[in-house]
Amino acid sequence: MAEDNQNMLSFLSNDGKTIDVPRDVAERSLLIKNMLDDIGPVTEAIPIPNVSENVLNKVLEWCTHHRSDPPSTGDEDDSRRKTTDIEEWDQKFMQVDQEMLFEIILAANYLDIKPLLDIGCKTVANMIKGKSPEEIRKTFNIQNDFTPEEEDQIRRENEWAEDR
Amino acid sequence: MEDNAELQSFRQQWRAEVEHRVHPRSAGQSQATPPRPSAAQPRQFPPTRHEASARKEDKDEDEEGAASYSQNELVQEVQQLSLAKPDEEDVFHERAPRTEPQSALEHFERAVQREEEGNLGDSLQHYRKAYRLDAAVDKEYRNKHYAGTWKKKASQAAPADESAKAAPVDDQPTFVPTPELIASFARFPILPAEPPVEGDPPPPCPIAHVPSEVIVEILEHVARMDPAAFCRMALVCKRFAYHFSHEQHIWKRVCQGSKFGFGAMHYSFACDIHGNPEHTLAPQPRYTPFPTDLPVQLPSPLSSWSEVFHTFPRIRFTGIYISTVNYTRAGAASAYSNISWNSPIHIVTYYRYLRFYPDGTVIYLLTTSEPVDVVPHINKPNVTAARATSRKHHQRNLPDVGSSSGVQDPVPTVAMDALKRAQWGRWRLSKPTSPTDPPEESNNSFPTKDKSAVPDSRDLVIETEGIGAPKYIYVLHLALRSTTTRPTNANPTAPNPSRNTKLVWQGYWSYDKLTDDWAEFGLKNDRAFVFRRVRAWGMN
Repeated sequence: MAEDNQNMLSFLSNDGKTIDVPRDVAERSLLIKNMLDDIGPVTEAIPIPNVSENVLNKVLEWCTHHRSDPPSTGDEDDSRRKTTDIEEWDQKFMQVDQEMLFEIILAANYLDIKPLLDIGCKTVANMIKGKSPEEIRKTFNIQNDFTPEEEDQIRRENEWAEDR
Repeated sequence: MEDNAELQSFRQQWRAEVEHRVHPRSAGQSQATPPRPSAAQPRQFPPTRHEASARKEDKDEDEEGAASYSQNELVQEVQQLSLAKPDEEDVFHERAPRTEPQSALEHFERAVQREEEGNLGDSLQHYRKAYRLDAAVDKEYRNKHYAGTWKKKASQAAPADESAKAAPVDDQPTFVPTPELIASFARFPILPAEPPVEGDPPPPCPIAHVPSEVIVEILEHVARMDPAAFCRMALVCKRFAYHFSHEQHIWKRVCQGSKFGFGAMHYSFACDIHGNPEHTLAPQPRYTPFPTDLPVQLPSPLSSWSEVFHTFPRIRFTGIYISTVNYTRAGAASAYSNISWNSPIHIVTYYRYLRFYPDGTVIYLLTTSEPVDVVPHINKPNVTAARATSRKHHQRNLPDVGSSSGVQDPVPTVAMDALKRAQWGRWRLSKPTSPTDPPEESNNSFPTKDKSAVPDSRDLVIETEGIGAPKYIYVLHLALRSTTTRPTNANPTAPNPSRNTKLVWQGYWSYDKLTDDWAEFGLKNDRAFVFRRVRAWGMN
């Protein structure tokens, strides 16, 4: 490792594992970046209470690949939103089981990594599009909590958005 | 006195309500199509007023209304069969596996049913298919139904009908108006599915642990990929239904978007009729009703962005607009004909297709080929290819073939043959005007005779290349309208279909660029264009 101690941080996952992270990789997370800006140099491991080791590793893998991306700003928000495409590498990265996918989304949300959260949400959206409500329920194991009358009422109310 | 006044107002309310219940349709209709001031001549329009625009809109509304009504009914039948409605956004792929009739007899029965409903177009299609499958299908039909089955069926249908009618009455006390119903869903959690076998651990449902803010983020991506998918999400569970109706910022983005929203609407021509971009000396910024870089307001009568998306005039790119024309023509008996009638009457069906593109171009096609055969193939590369192989055909088929040349070609044509006659064109909507706007600049060569006419924001102008000689431009003036629907017995609440999915004719002209002459095409058999979504389009 070329990085000296100054540029290395360590994270402590919620299952008690320590992971060493180069600082620029860690700063893909706005939560971490803002924290470091606030409190200055840190020597001990930073606890990440909501994220387990394997998810954290996965998230850091993404951060490492995207370490040299321009930092996300408010302006970028719009251009990022304009496209619904996902880069090839990211697509491969997101080929994980559903539990991991949502874990990544939750971690990205907690750590405030907007582009990763975005890719995760797009991946989920891709799993939804083109499916019928019943297929969507099956895909995510969601229970149908409508009564048949309610379901019918909602269907009629929202019929216009089907656009056909 | 006070009492009297109160009583008076109560009476009025009551009357209005009764009126509304009795004619819910007429109320909806008058809302959908306010009296148009357009008895006057539309602006930027040729000197003659086209007879099509003078026609009563009601007529069209009714006919098409009937057509869509029966389609709705069909959909409902399907829904009653199984609550899990497959997404049937597409009528061109996967036709057969639905409730579509299979055997000749089934087709015949459906045809009879459609005919009774007054839907000649559908009825004809089914008759044709039935006879193609079995030339003696009418005998079979007679055998089946004169044996008394029909009677039984009818008597079975009646109680079913009644129970359907009765059910909502029973529900009356617990019936909650939809907005309140949806609002009550706000705090519902996403429930994990129950295990397939009782006692098993439930299947994993990671989405149940996702916080609202992230759910909304996901829904936004879904909506921007396809609003129809967003709509289906609302039927998954209560929580999603709540977000569907209450996350107006999602709808705002959809409205501003250029895929389904108004970012892709053109209010002035964006290209020439061959699709080449237009160059002007002083290019003006393109008008868009809801720019993303400026603060935008809701257009005045509307109260939410979902309503804007629902009701604001909008062209769809995810499907095809089809105008189906049926007409009859007396024909001579043919030696080859295996039909024994002495003087046959031909019932001719032809179609006009319009496929719009967000870049301002449009493909116009007039053909006898059925939607199933051509629609999936109507796209720019195919038209280019088809027209490159043959440039000879264009002499013989004027667009207003009306009663003669539409039947010249009795052999079934494959899509490419049909596409040889496709015409390139360009389109624009009328700019929604507010009194403060500067007058719209006329950027085309058409005579503007009547400046006083109020443009209707639902007006659509299409110019296509002429057939036969490049000196002609054909001008189609259409207007976006909504299909009216009636509540049915089984379904007492008025359905809430998409708006502005229909294009009614206002006029059709040919313009001679060399002599500056306008000629009018008669639209004897004209029918409104109706939008049908094509699944493969606009999903990538």
